[in-house]
Amino acid sequence: MLKLHNLSKYYRTDEVETVALDNVNIEIESGEFVAIMGPSGCGKSTLLNIVGMLDSPSEGDYIFMGENVAGYPESKLSNIRKQNIGFIFQSFNLIDELTVEENIELALLYHNIPASERRERVAKVMDKVGIAHRAKHMPSQLSGGQQQRVAVARAVVGDQAMILADEPTGNLDSAHGQEVMEMLQSLNAEGTTIVMVTHSPAHADYARRTINLFDGHVVTEDLRAAV
Amino acid sequence: MLKNYITIALRNILKNRLYAFINIIGLAIGLTVYVFGSVLVDYEKNHDQYFANTDRIYTINSIFSPAANIGIKRADTTYAAFGEFLKTGMPQLEATARIKRQEFLVTIGDDDYYQEIRFTDPDFTKIFDLDYIVGDASALDDPSSVIFTRSAAEKFFGDANAVNDAIGRTILLDHQNSLTVAAVVEDLPANTHFNSSVLGEDDMTVLAPMSALKQLIDYDPALDWGNISLGNRMYLLAPANHVVAELETSLAVTYEQHFPEDQKEFIIEVKLEPLTQANTAFWDGIGLPVIDSISILAVLVLVVACVNYTNLATAQNMGRAREVGLRRTLGAGRRQLLIQFLTESLIVALIALLIALVLLEWIIPFFNQSLGKVVALDHLAILPWLALTTVAVGLISGGYPAYLITRTTPIDSLKDGNSGGARKSLVRAIMIGLQFVIAIFMLAMVMVMYFQNQKVKQTIDLFPTDQILVLERLDVDEIAQQTETLRNELIRLPNVENVSFMSQVPFEQNNSSFEANINPGDEAAGFSMNRLAIDYEFLSTLDVALIAGRNVSREIALDGPVEGAEQTNVLVNELAAEKLGFASPETAIGQSFYQIGDDSSRQLTIVGVVENQNILGFHNNVKPFTFNVQSGQRVGTVRFTPIGVQQTLQDIEAVWDRVIPNYPMQSKFLDETFEDVYTIYRSINIALAAFAVLALSLALIGLFGLAAFMAEQRTKEIGIRKIMGASVPQVVRLLIWQFSKPVLWALLVALPLAYFSMNLYLNFFSDRIGLPAGIIMIAGMIGVIAAWGIVAMHAAAVARANPINALRYE
Repeated sequence: MLKLHNLSKYYRTDEVETVALDNVNIEIESGEFVAIMGPSGCGKSTLLNIVGMLDSPSEGDYIFMGENVAGYPESKLSNIRKQNIGFIFQSFNLIDELTVEENIELALLYHNIPASERRERVAKVMDKVGIAHRAKHMPSQLSGGQQQRVAVARAVVGDQAMILADEPTGNLDSAHGQEVMEMLQSLNAEGTTIVMVTHSPAHADYARRTINLFDGHVVTEDLRAAV
Repeated sequence: MLKNYITIALRNILKNRLYAFINIIGLAIGLTVYVFGSVLVDYEKNHDQYFANTDRIYTINSIFSPAANIGIKRADTTYAAFGEFLKTGMPQLEATARIKRQEFLVTIGDDDYYQEIRFTDPDFTKIFDLDYIVGDASALDDPSSVIFTRSAAEKFFGDANAVNDAIGRTILLDHQNSLTVAAVVEDLPANTHFNSSVLGEDDMTVLAPMSALKQLIDYDPALDWGNISLGNRMYLLAPANHVVAELETSLAVTYEQHFPEDQKEFIIEVKLEPLTQANTAFWDGIGLPVIDSISILAVLVLVVACVNYTNLATAQNMGRAREVGLRRTLGAGRRQLLIQFLTESLIVALIALLIALVLLEWIIPFFNQSLGKVVALDHLAILPWLALTTVAVGLISGGYPAYLITRTTPIDSLKDGNSGGARKSLVRAIMIGLQFVIAIFMLAMVMVMYFQNQKVKQTIDLFPTDQILVLERLDVDEIAQQTETLRNELIRLPNVENVSFMSQVPFEQNNSSFEANINPGDEAAGFSMNRLAIDYEFLSTLDVALIAGRNVSREIALDGPVEGAEQTNVLVNELAAEKLGFASPETAIGQSFYQIGDDSSRQLTIVGVVENQNILGFHNNVKPFTFNVQSGQRVGTVRFTPIGVQQTLQDIEAVWDRVIPNYPMQSKFLDETFEDVYTIYRSINIALAAFAVLALSLALIGLFGLAAFMAEQRTKEIGIRKIMGASVPQVVRLLIWQFSKPVLWALLVALPLAYFSMNLYLNFFSDRIGLPAGIIMIAGMIGVIAAWGIVAMHAAAVARANPINALRYE
């Protein structure tokens, strides 16, 4: 699916240069479920942003589906991103002014899909994540777990091959957190590649492999058998 | 507490520099325009305060019958002969005086000057308390006396000392009659109607007794029931405790008793007009409410500026909901919060006022200099009004946002942070709409006016205007006797194509008319016919085409002026032939009609019919014209080949000096005659354009601020959309659309409004532009595209930002 080769990311201000990622080499196969762990400031989010093509590496190669996208301009990245990658955030990032339905539809809006097909796909995915009865509600009327389910629906409605989840359970209580994890697991079972940043070892256990980051380096990679 | 409010207000202004800057600049521009407009209108409407009797002085205006068809509705004067009846008809008056302006060649020593002199009745000095340097108010009692202003005395007699010993010095008019200086007065200020800058009239510099005109040009005002010339006013001095209604009644009675019956059809009423309005009478006369429009436009610009502030402050304050919630939690009352927010808007208004005053200090002198006005900003006098305006602006524009922000409960404002409310506001949409209604309305008016003016400008092409030199003031005996010689000499010059003498040139706004009738027995068949006295070369010089019959000819005696003849051959234009009842120009040839006089009629036989040329040009209809040959004309036209113009001019002047050595040549190009009038149309257009540009700029500045603010508020949403795959153009479109709706609604209101209002201007013209609706649509499109452009400018920057930055600190 993707391969990071000697990839580094620096942030420069006038006086200091901060190294966020230092010479990282990671390979993720299609259909994998990978958890990224590590303490705050270790570069997890930076890594996820680069993988998600929201940010560009300072050095090194990023080969995504056989293509080195490291030097691509934003418009090209945006195109690859919207075809292949779905995002789930800790803070859900739903648009407050749009209904559940419209929030999910947003992911299809920029894909040149006819309105009827969009409605169909949104309805289907809402069923799948069990939010159909809340279709006309605004995000502020939902609980956190429900909001995150909407976000998950939005991430997968475009049939994205890979989902990047940045602490998807961070704002949820344990019951809701587990609910979301199970949803991700079943998506993975259907073939979606999932890369998830998490602080929770318990939730990391849902993944097949855990990558531990520390100060911008990959420290260990744990493989575990399928749960 | 107040200090605390002010501190917080100032900190807030400093914190949000971009918005504060936009707010302050917007209000400053609005206030500048408003104060300037008000001061200017006040200035124009309050001329003549210089005179002690101003409140008791009136002028007599003539109201023309709508059927008069002379292009103006009222004149600021009436027939001089009517003045003879005022003393008996209105016995309560303390004094009356008429003015007749007449230009003469003034000879002082060896120097000649063309000088306009105001001839007036002796009571003039009772009505107006002139400031005598030497001499006194009795100066005009002697018919051979003359009063100079200081600057005239200095100009004619050489130096400043000349003023004191000017008395007794003589000047010679047209080489015939001398007048003796009896007094010198201080120059009248520019803000008297005598020196008004509204019309390009000459300043009042020389005053002479009306009775002198009898000798000079055989003019007797008592017999003058024929001339109305704007600016030749008739002044009345009413007693100190007069009742205006009584004066009006006695004036109406005098009119009834003494106005000739046939003139009553033309001038249906004479009216008293206070002297203070004499300055703006011109605009009333032509029926364009220019002065009032300035007031209204100035207020509209201020409204746009206030709405700007309100809009931006509302949006901004929503971002401060958390602060308000916290303050309320800590015990601040609603009243205190209101005061806090209003203090802020008052401070902004005050800063804006200070900037406006600085701007005015710079604008007013520049304005005065370029337009010859003496508008002054009397700070002390307008201070209460300025303070009131500023407070009103501060409260009105700051009131709504303050009300809105303090209305919410503390819990709501803490919880809600900066969401929802800031974005969706019907009131805000209405306010954006209002701004654009005003801006687009003005823009549409400017454009309609511009295109109409362009059309007016085309009337310059009715005649070979750029090839014609106009020789002026030929109706002096000594010159009139030489016109044939002058023509013969001029026509021999290599580049002179033609020479013609006539009573007025095209574009001069004079209406000389008589009552024409094909059948003198049938009074109903009579109509007002314009007259132009011409000579045999008129048609060829001005390119007026003959449609039927023949041109007038020197060979045929009755074509020219014949002493005592009861019948004369004339040319008429097509319209005149039609109004006389002829089916076609051809059938009119050889037919006669009559010029109806008081006691006798003159028979006029049509020998030729010419095409309908609009002699008066500009806004006028084509009028029925009779052209008859006369001698002793007022003006001459010299048509030249447009090569080596400089040389041709020198040659013409050399010929003149040889033939008429006693009078310097006075001439101008026909273009200049046109330009003298056209400048009025253009000035109105430029003034309105300035207002429109300001209103539109203000609306755009406000929109920019609001767009910037809204984009900031929507940063998160934009970030999400971008992650979902929205492209930069898609995000820009989203942001633009947010502001498009109110602007598009504004179109729906502004365009019909403009469509109806522009008729105010267009009705003034007989030849109007087609498709004003199209022009108005274009104005609307300009407004919308400008709005889009300004929003896109900022939206593009926002849309290009990395979405991660937007979401990172959520």
